[in-house]
Amino acid sequence: MNSEKFFGITDNTLFICIAFLSFFGLVLLYSATNQNIDVVFRQGSRLIFCFVLMFLISLVDINKIKSISPYVYLLCILMLIITLLWGHDVKGAKRWIVFFGFSFQVSEILKIIVPMTLAWYLSLSEDKEIDLKKLIISFSIIFAPILFVIKQPDLGTSMIILLCGVITIFLGGITKKHIIYLLTLFSFAIPIMWKFILLPYQKQRIMTLFDPNLDPLGSGYHIIQSKIAVGSGGFFGKGFLNGTQSQLEFLPERGTDFIFAVFAEEFGFIGALILFLIYLMIILRCLHITYKAKNYFSKIFAGSISSILILLVITNIAMAVGLLPVVGVTLPLISLGGSSLLSIFIAFGIMFSINRRI
Amino acid sequence: MRKSFLDFGRVNAEKLLHHRLNILIFILSILTLFLIGRLYFLQVISFDHFDTLSETNRIKYIQTAPRRGIIYDRNNIVLADNSSLYSIEINIKESDNIEKIINAIKEQINISKEEIENFYKKKSKYSHHNSIVLKSNLTDSEIAKVLSIRYKFDGLDVTASLMRKYPYKEITSHVIGNVGYIDKVDLSKIDKKKYKSIKYVGKTGIEKSYEDTLFGSPGYKHVEINARGRQIRNIDEKPSVPGKDIHLTIDVELQKYMYSKLLGYSGSSIAMNPNNGEILGMVSMPSINPNDILWGSYDSSKEIEKLDSPMFNRSINGLYSPGSTIKPLVALNAIHEKVVNLETEIYAGPFFQLPNSSRRFRDWKPEGHGVVNLQKSIVQSCDVYFYMLADNLGIKKLGSFFKTFSFGEKTGIDMPFESKGVLPSEEWKLKNIGYKWTDGDTVITGIGQGYFLTTPLQLVYAASILANEGSIVIPKLNKNLDIKKSKKIIDREKFLKNEIKKEWWNAINEAMFKVVNQENGTAFWTTKNKRNNISGKTGTVQVYSLPQETDEREKENLPKHLKDHSLYIGFAPKDNPQVVVATIVENVGSGSKFAAPFSNEIIDYYLNKIRGRN
Repeated sequence: MNSEKFFGITDNTLFICIAFLSFFGLVLLYSATNQNIDVVFRQGSRLIFCFVLMFLISLVDINKIKSISPYVYLLCILMLIITLLWGHDVKGAKRWIVFFGFSFQVSEILKIIVPMTLAWYLSLSEDKEIDLKKLIISFSIIFAPILFVIKQPDLGTSMIILLCGVITIFLGGITKKHIIYLLTLFSFAIPIMWKFILLPYQKQRIMTLFDPNLDPLGSGYHIIQSKIAVGSGGFFGKGFLNGTQSQLEFLPERGTDFIFAVFAEEFGFIGALILFLIYLMIILRCLHITYKAKNYFSKIFAGSISSILILLVITNIAMAVGLLPVVGVTLPLISLGGSSLLSIFIAFGIMFSINRRI
Repeated sequence: MRKSFLDFGRVNAEKLLHHRLNILIFILSILTLFLIGRLYFLQVISFDHFDTLSETNRIKYIQTAPRRGIIYDRNNIVLADNSSLYSIEINIKESDNIEKIINAIKEQINISKEEIENFYKKKSKYSHHNSIVLKSNLTDSEIAKVLSIRYKFDGLDVTASLMRKYPYKEITSHVIGNVGYIDKVDLSKIDKKKYKSIKYVGKTGIEKSYEDTLFGSPGYKHVEINARGRQIRNIDEKPSVPGKDIHLTIDVELQKYMYSKLLGYSGSSIAMNPNNGEILGMVSMPSINPNDILWGSYDSSKEIEKLDSPMFNRSINGLYSPGSTIKPLVALNAIHEKVVNLETEIYAGPFFQLPNSSRRFRDWKPEGHGVVNLQKSIVQSCDVYFYMLADNLGIKKLGSFFKTFSFGEKTGIDMPFESKGVLPSEEWKLKNIGYKWTDGDTVITGIGQGYFLTTPLQLVYAASILANEGSIVIPKLNKNLDIKKSKKIIDREKFLKNEIKKEWWNAINEAMFKVVNQENGTAFWTTKNKRNNISGKTGTVQVYSLPQETDEREKENLPKHLKDHSLYIGFAPKDNPQVVVATIVENVGSGSKFAAPFSNEIIDYYLNKIRGRN
């Protein structure tokens, strides 16, 4: 498998799957945007940039990546502050900063950087079990950036970042006793959050999940239309560019949050199964790298990425089939948008770098 | 020993990690299977249900446009209104053959070549719109004819929309501004979601500065459509919320009068209430009928920057040397800096000379004014006296004093694109002209010539401070706007009230009163009936400098664009000022001949006819 290396690409199966899915994402985007070739070209150029970045990262030694991870983390926090102060206002939320004409959403990349920083921190004293102090520091690493993301305000992404961090801490060996404590704390926190933290529109999104007809014009509309799109796709789908839901613009946010609905309408249940299969292959390769990885940092990070990848896919699809509220999670490698693409490709770059050390 | 212990810990941690990973993957796999089950349920088991829903998914949500707020003058007279407008629209994305549609319409009604050309122009320019207007302002019979062929073509429609109407046309055009097609520049600034159903946005004037207020918020319609996307019937709707109306401080009767005074000239005139900053009238000439430019391919963002365009708003963007209208301020500065006192007399000959220089700075009066004091030099507008004052003060002191009157910065009126003017300084000249500041530059600044440039609005602002003896009001057009003075303005006000003594203000205002009411004042003849106790100051700005020895009469023969600008600031009544006016008439001659009589008539008209009625 490693006979011929292109840059640091040491796992051809993984690479081919990534390339196939991201290219297929462009094709799907063409349909989702009502055949707007401009958007496809723009996403295509972002994709090329991401591939180059992935190649470059794959060449960097994993120990080097480990040693710079806390600095990357601090840089992210700095960028979050910049976002809050001078961020680009879209629909009342400040989530974007503009660098050299490119707008960039820092919160997206945190889904990778928070687990990476935790992996670095936990591998500093890998031989010792996680005590309370270590646990508190670990959670501080998660919550420091999340506070800024909540302020943007972007609760959906905050929850995802939290979950990503929790996965890493779980893999890093949190004791059973602490798990029980945290679960208890969490079950008390939920009613408090509902009462004091959630904004009315966020509550409404959750309420309409249980009964979309509560608000068929507003947030329920997304769920109703998305379910119709997915369901009417049937077993074989309506065929590429033939999805009436998406082509007639019934479906909102077709390029990003609801791209899976476009896919499922046009390619059906069988298409969805194939998509799952490709994701499965990617994840199996990632798990392979995790089990083979030589040092503890690599192991925690690779394990986290494998799990987070599944988490993101599941969350996005669950949104499209009306099982989760619309929290704004993109479908890895496929959805429109530069920042989420960038973070996923950085993750794969690091995975390849780990794989070179096996 | 220690090393093996470490290894032992590491191996344990890795073991735990693998174990945990297995648990996690197991949980996530179950969730995934659950998800696949859900997909199976939706796509296979419930396929028929959703397939029918999709087939009959004919319910579309359409945004409905809010009614734009109406703009009134201070007496509830409508200055900007909406009226229904029927137009033929072609949806580019739904129609297969646009040419065929246009030809079919041509058979039914009259469509000019221009309209077709415009359509294609707009089609390429506004490619982000789906529907493009082919012909607007349809008559009833035209509507009927087009509707009769509508069923044959996809994408052809007759739509009703609200159009903006400006009943006072040219008279209010610069103040109200206008709305126009949303172009790509606007698109980056507005919330696109709110403007889905609306094709226009405020471009200039009040229409722009109060866009958010006037706009309101759009509603939604729930309509049934057929397979081709044509609307069949309404199911339900959430009405739009109309924009808020705006009441201006403008009095349209005064505005009309001011317009009539300046008709045929280029220039601007502004009337303001010095007690609260309310702009009572504000005209800029030449003007344009905004109803004509509304839907054309006119690019207002470029037009308002062109000096020769009728859309150019001289009141806030025209830059003029203030000329002698600045003399009262120079005088105040000179007393405050103790260069002279109220009694100081000097002999003012025909010219002023700097030491070691042969250049002669001449007075407008060839023979000079003889012995004058400060007040007299204002009344007769003696240049030599002010050359002397400016030379003694120096540009630093002059500049910082002028700054307290907001020269060189925006006054803060609630209008977009206000200009700052130029308040020159040593640094300014070096940076912008490239040469060092000279004493000669300072001397001519004393009579408001040279690099010093102001807008008519800045002049009326400064005049109101004179009328108020140091109190500052921020000019405004929206009657309901509450302006909180910034700390900077409050500090300036403190300076003007505490540092400048009341007797100095009185002396300067007395001199300005004599300009109009004493026989040798430069504006004495401009008002016959002296009942309203007007105070003022004339200004004549040289556009072209003639050799000093030229006969005054030769000025009359100059080509028009080289003639002097005529300026005037004035306020009345003297003891309790109710109105301040600044007027500039371009290329006509001296201040006392045009701007002064115009302004004083405007003041008389306001005090005699308007104020009583209000």
